[in-house]
Amino acid sequence: MTIPAVALVAGIYLYPAIRTVILSMSEFDLVTLEVERFVGFENFIRLFQSPSFLEILTRTVYFGLMIVALTTVLAFLVALLLNERFIGRTVLRVAVLLPWAIPPVVAGVLFGQLFHAEIGFVNAILFRLGLIDRYQVWLSDPNIALHVIIMLEVWRALPFMILFFLAGLQSLPHDVFEAAAIDGAGILSRIRHVLLPLVTPIALPLMIIQFIWAMKAFDSIFVLTRGGPGRATMTLNYYVYQQGFQNFDLGPAAAAAYVLLAVTLVVVVTIMIIQRILAKRGL
Amino acid sequence: MLGPSLKRQRRIKPILLQIAAIVTFVAMIFPIYALFLTSLQPESVIRSRDVSFFPSTLYFAHFAEVLSPGHIVPIVAAIGNSMIVSILTATACVLLALPAAYALARLPVPGGRFILGGLVSIYFLPTILFMIPLFIAFVNRGLNDTFLGLVLLYTGFILPFQIWILRGFIDRVPGELDEAAKLDGATYLQLFVRIIIPLVRPGILAGYLFAFILSWIEFLTPLIFTNNLKVSTVSLGLYRSTIDIQVGQLAAAAVLTLLPVALLTLIFQRLVTRVFLAGADK
Repeated sequence: MTIPAVALVAGIYLYPAIRTVILSMSEFDLVTLEVERFVGFENFIRLFQSPSFLEILTRTVYFGLMIVALTTVLAFLVALLLNERFIGRTVLRVAVLLPWAIPPVVAGVLFGQLFHAEIGFVNAILFRLGLIDRYQVWLSDPNIALHVIIMLEVWRALPFMILFFLAGLQSLPHDVFEAAAIDGAGILSRIRHVLLPLVTPIALPLMIIQFIWAMKAFDSIFVLTRGGPGRATMTLNYYVYQQGFQNFDLGPAAAAAYVLLAVTLVVVVTIMIIQRILAKRGL
Repeated sequence: MLGPSLKRQRRIKPILLQIAAIVTFVAMIFPIYALFLTSLQPESVIRSRDVSFFPSTLYFAHFAEVLSPGHIVPIVAAIGNSMIVSILTATACVLLALPAAYALARLPVPGGRFILGGLVSIYFLPTILFMIPLFIAFVNRGLNDTFLGLVLLYTGFILPFQIWILRGFIDRVPGELDEAAKLDGATYLQLFVRIIIPLVRPGILAGYLFAFILSWIEFLTPLIFTNNLKVSTVSLGLYRSTIDIQVGQLAAAAVLTLLPVALLTLIFQRLVTRVFLAGADK
């Protein structure tokens, strides 16, 4: 009964994954769509000799880690908030779910309009508050453009993580926290010594998923900046797309795709090791 | 006895919580609100610098223009295309995933654990890794620029996740039911059709919903595999209309793109939450 499903998955994943290995080690003829020449690791070597590729590599890791860190911290705080009592809690619980329902392309359009140089609300608000003295061209600043995309990804990723943290918090005995409070522990030390050890086991697997998603981010970059200005918002994923489907440089693109996989695996394994160490320490 | 500082905390805390709640609400909702606002204001107002965040009049012409048949980017046709592709994909996903999930959950499948582990980890590989050979294969077989090609790719991409969702629901059906039916002489197939399927109806709905949503929002696949405007899906159509300079119309098109998905998420909010959290209670 598993055969049809497994066969399709193998056809869509396994076969191309193996073909990509072959491609990454060849020179490719575009007219015949055939492998022309086997070049071994040449494509990989050339990538790593290029300073701009190394820049993309570093940026990709920074991009992923920033998204993971910001999403984790913010989601944790919002989950803490949602676990308390206040007016409008039910409304807020639905509201924090909504960004998940926004298709990534729409999110791209939406942030594009928010940060637009002439019609963007970000400019309008900051200008009215007197924080800027003239309208800024946000997305043409390399540094700001990258962080606008990070912001978009965090905004879209938050609902998923908030849900998990909230479920985790609700499964905790509430009196653990109260008891610590009555013992005179301040709010920070309560979070540090009571809550964090209980929440870390939930957080680490979520961080892995989050990082993998960040490595797959494409739509937002494509719609907002197309990797620019210059190459300021180019991540590995986008680079593979550009090399493969715009420049039709299939060999290097395939090699870069495997570098992306390696980056993902290295970070994921590192997080897993941290998880093990923390588990051994009883956290 | 409560200390004085704790007492003060008790008084300030509700106010701080309320402020935090409002800030969170605005941060999560404002971008969406801004999009709706832009779609409902005349172009001249959008482009003026004194746009009001709480307008007194709403303007629906952008929607009328975007929906009119003569529009540059055929967004209505694109919505139709996305409906066809998403419904076909969701149906194929559930039909293929349900027996697989059942077998993996209940039957002694050789290498079952390995298959399941493989399916889950495959979902996390970067999609771009598979795209180049798939593109070559699809072009060689004339599958690019076709609905069939898109449905095949979407189904393949979504299946691992789908099997994982459905297996979670099947796992929760108590095993005693199977045992009782087996004693009555039921075959695995009868068990599957008579007991499992009726009991996991919410799971089937959830699976269908997720496959539909994931197909609806997919962007990279149609970007690479379709060029012809006739098979353009809605996300691609929306992107193409960003080239147009009419801000209000772009916002209206974006609203139309997100509406089906946002409505489904809101209506089935509990089910969506349940699927997300399926892994959490294990």
